[in-house]
Amino acid sequence: MIRILFFGPVAEQVAVREMQLEFHAGMRLMDVASHLQARYAEAFRLVSFIAVNSLQTKDMQLGLSDGDEIAFMAKFSGG
Amino acid sequence: MLGPVRIQIEDFSSDDELAALRAGSQRIGGIATFIGCARDFSEGREVSRISFDAYGSMALAEMNRLRDEAIEKFSLLDTRLVHRVGSVGAGEQIVLIATGAEHRAPALEACHWLIDELKQRVPIWKKEITPQGDAWVTPHP
Repeated sequence: MIRILFFGPVAEQVAVREMQLEFHAGMRLMDVASHLQARYAEAFRLVSFIAVNSLQTKDMQLGLSDGDEIAFMAKFSGG
Repeated sequence: MLGPVRIQIEDFSSDDELAALRAGSQRIGGIATFIGCARDFSEGREVSRISFDAYGSMALAEMNRLRDEAIEKFSLLDTRLVHRVGSVGAGEQIVLIATGAEHRAPALEACHWLIDELKQRVPIWKKEITPQGDAWVTPHP
């Protein structure tokens, strides 16, 4: 399974903080992002950063592994 | 003794943080601090509280990286970073950064650098609670 995380304004739009997607061999970050973007278009308009296993990445071709954790995040506003 | 990098719901004591910093080394000649507080206004609206959400594990890891980078970059003797999450009332403390160095210049420069980097790199989001409704804050460039 792939664990998907949402926080702050993105979580509010999606209306959940966490969900899981079935993993399949050859799965790439782009596959997950496209799938979710189609379902949650409003929320994904807010997404500026993506982290895989707590590390930011812009590589949408990144190959995923079973058990990966992906966070789709809005611009940060802490401090 | 609490750790030097923390994310917590409860308020913090700046006196305790500075005492912990000083206790770490008698070579410290200058300590700089930044304390971010919750304003009771924003863009013409009254703000009663600010609610913070965080990607806790990533935020803590990034704050630890910031600490390591700041110690290396500014030759600090130590630094402490504390950020609150959850609900923070107007006038309350949000974030503390304290930097200790042999001289004032690197302590001050590091403190400024750390709060700027924290705002850009640490996954924390704030929502202002106002009588007119709640709104997530869009960061300034």
